[in-house]
Amino acid sequence: MRHLGKLLLVALALIPLASPAAARAQNLVVQVATEPPGLDLTATPASATAGVVFYNVQEALVKVNRHGKIVPWLAERWNTSDNKNYTFFLKRGVRFHNGRELKAADVKFVIDRAMNPETKHPAPANYAAISDIIVKDDYTITFALKTTTANFLLNMARQGSVIYPREAVDTLKSEPIGTGPYKLGEWVRGDRIVLVKNPDYHVKGLPRLDRVTYRFIPDPNAALAALKAGDVDAAMFGLGPEHIPELQKDSRFQVIVGETTNDVIMSMNNSKKPFSDVRVRRAVTYGINKPEVVKGAMFGLGRVIGTNVDPLNPYFVDMSGAMPYDPAKAKKLLAEAGYPNGFEAVLKVAPQYYYTVRTGEVLADQLSKVGVKIKIEQIEWGQWLSRVWKDADYDLTIIGHAEAWDIANYANPKYYFRYDSGEFQKLFQESEITVDDKARRELYVKMQKKLVEDAPVVWLYIHPRLAVTKKGLQGFWKDLPAPAFDLSEVAWVK
Amino acid sequence: MRRYIARRVAAFVATLFFVSALVFVVVRVLPGDPALVIIGPEGSPEAAARLREALGLNRPILVQYTEWLSRALRGDLGVSLQYDVPVGRLILSRLPVTLPLTLMAAVLIAGTALPLGLYAARRHRRAGDYLAMVVSQIGIAIPGFWAGLLLILLFSVHLGWVQSGGFAGWSNGLWPGVRSLLLPAIALGFFQMAVLVRATRSSVLDVLREDYVRTARAKGVSELSVIAKHTLRNALIPIVTVAGLQLGQLMAGAIILESVFALPGLGRLALGAITARDLPVVQGVTLFVASTIVLINFAVDLLYVVLDPRIRYE
Repeated sequence: MRHLGKLLLVALALIPLASPAAARAQNLVVQVATEPPGLDLTATPASATAGVVFYNVQEALVKVNRHGKIVPWLAERWNTSDNKNYTFFLKRGVRFHNGRELKAADVKFVIDRAMNPETKHPAPANYAAISDIIVKDDYTITFALKTTTANFLLNMARQGSVIYPREAVDTLKSEPIGTGPYKLGEWVRGDRIVLVKNPDYHVKGLPRLDRVTYRFIPDPNAALAALKAGDVDAAMFGLGPEHIPELQKDSRFQVIVGETTNDVIMSMNNSKKPFSDVRVRRAVTYGINKPEVVKGAMFGLGRVIGTNVDPLNPYFVDMSGAMPYDPAKAKKLLAEAGYPNGFEAVLKVAPQYYYTVRTGEVLADQLSKVGVKIKIEQIEWGQWLSRVWKDADYDLTIIGHAEAWDIANYANPKYYFRYDSGEFQKLFQESEITVDDKARRELYVKMQKKLVEDAPVVWLYIHPRLAVTKKGLQGFWKDLPAPAFDLSEVAWVK
Repeated sequence: MRRYIARRVAAFVATLFFVSALVFVVVRVLPGDPALVIIGPEGSPEAAARLREALGLNRPILVQYTEWLSRALRGDLGVSLQYDVPVGRLILSRLPVTLPLTLMAAVLIAGTALPLGLYAARRHRRAGDYLAMVVSQIGIAIPGFWAGLLLILLFSVHLGWVQSGGFAGWSNGLWPGVRSLLLPAIALGFFQMAVLVRATRSSVLDVLREDYVRTARAKGVSELSVIAKHTLRNALIPIVTVAGLQLGQLMAGAIILESVFALPGLGRLALGAITARDLPVVQGVTLFVASTIVLINFAVDLLYVVLDPRIRYE
């Protein structure tokens, strides 16, 4: 036994020291939790795909910048005289990664393809308003719309509207080609994706990194270990809020806590008793102490919200105090609705998203105090999509809605909330065709007030952006107004 | 023997057929639709319905299965929905991680469990025995993923000796590859090692009580010879049985540890494929793992004959 111990010590001593993992100045190794399910932005809305490809490999005519503003991008400018015909003037000399210059015909091909149901684009509705696309010359293209569409420019900035060369359409899933600051170097399935600098990038001086390696590390503790061991330079989406306080104290790292468009909500099935009664939905809302939820489930990180429009949206109105925690009022409303002793309900959550389980546990405890007894049922993500999202077979559920401008969901009575308000739908339809900013803002305020009044769901908090990088790295976006992880300006500084 | 082998081959084919049919039905009957997972909650249900149609998932299960089987018999396991790569190629690309990982774990298990179990049996109810039992008890009590995290903390974060995860690849040489699999192999093998220590100890103890061992000792045969020739060989049958089962379990353990250590292996491929409802990959990996386990069992049965000439398969 003694010999065995000695042998073990000798064996351990023989293991040579690993070379220090100091990254070379021009290279970046990034941890991400999820491997993209394919790299085709026109086939999947997955955030894991957008995190790698959107803005880095492929870009659109216009771009939502780090401040949430829509700015010219592959189109150097646009104009519209009647808000129904938009003409884009393409930037000259923009080259795809295969060397060919971007022309207006590529734009037409891409958007025609997105509109064609045969191509299985995940969001063809974003292009439904387009009646005609006219290529005027190689650098000028006009979109004729059926009706005024307030979100037209936003839709052209979305990840599904990225411009790629016609000839590369069949390889988008595994070898996407675009105009972005980085080209796809290699994708080692299950292990990493490597992007390399595009030396012909159309924005002078960018990108500043030569090589970016995305490593897929699904386990949050393993991600933390990789960061601390110096094996990765930045952890982007993999760390939980519990890791943040410790890393904030560590002088080797900088912690980025920012806003996102990901509003975490507890949905109530509006088509099912007892949640079909607005008094019950309001009672549930009053029975929830949101700041305590953020404290208990998110270590205090995350902004309490009171309605669907997120703080990065220009029409955001802070309604977090509109229905504050009031257990007495909650009990009174439940009694009025015929549930003086409360009721039982099942809360379905998908543990793939850690915050849903934690938030559910805090909510179950809080709601039990007003008589709503919650049984938490954990289901796997694929099942959640089928049972909850598609079939609305649920009482309560928690999920983060990451898409920006997703207030449209409340205007769709078939959406899994099953919220059906003619008044809200009318307001929304009007907002879709109102281009005047002031008038549109008023409509958005009205919509948000209507939502608070009807309480179709409980808006809990904005899931914060939690990223940790080594000191010496600069250029990351603090907030995420778009589902992108733009690395074009990131660089090591001395 | 020939008839026996023919029978086993027939059973092998039948098992694979049964497993493939079972997995095919189960992954399609369970709630969860590949088209929905691909499109996600931000896509439209109409887009998901169109994709489902295009993937051929609306057809009757029997039609889908027959088509899959006829292609599988020709060596074509289909194309991954997630990766857009042939499933066969995907499985092959993951083997250089999972096979060496399980092999290293197996070597570690055998290399530590056999001597430790033998040692414990010979020191029965003495300090050495109790110590070995405590070690094995700890091994059984610690889940593999936690052992993995502890190893990462110690050897990567604090000592900085090895990478915290990821696979260096074999193209950079043998040592970088082995080094990236070392901690996962230890974490993977620790639990099975603890089980095998106990199996070895009890099997050796049984044999040590046999009359022929007492006779050998009475004849003055050296202790080394008593242990090596008379005891160990006779004790090996139950040990090999347990070890054979463990090899199969290592494959299952790899699923968790490949995630903890971010290794691009077969286990992680399977896990990702199940989450993403990548049906062709789930189907292919299951078939591959099932074949491997059936083959291991077959090899164990053949090993019995080598170990104990009294065993005949006629």
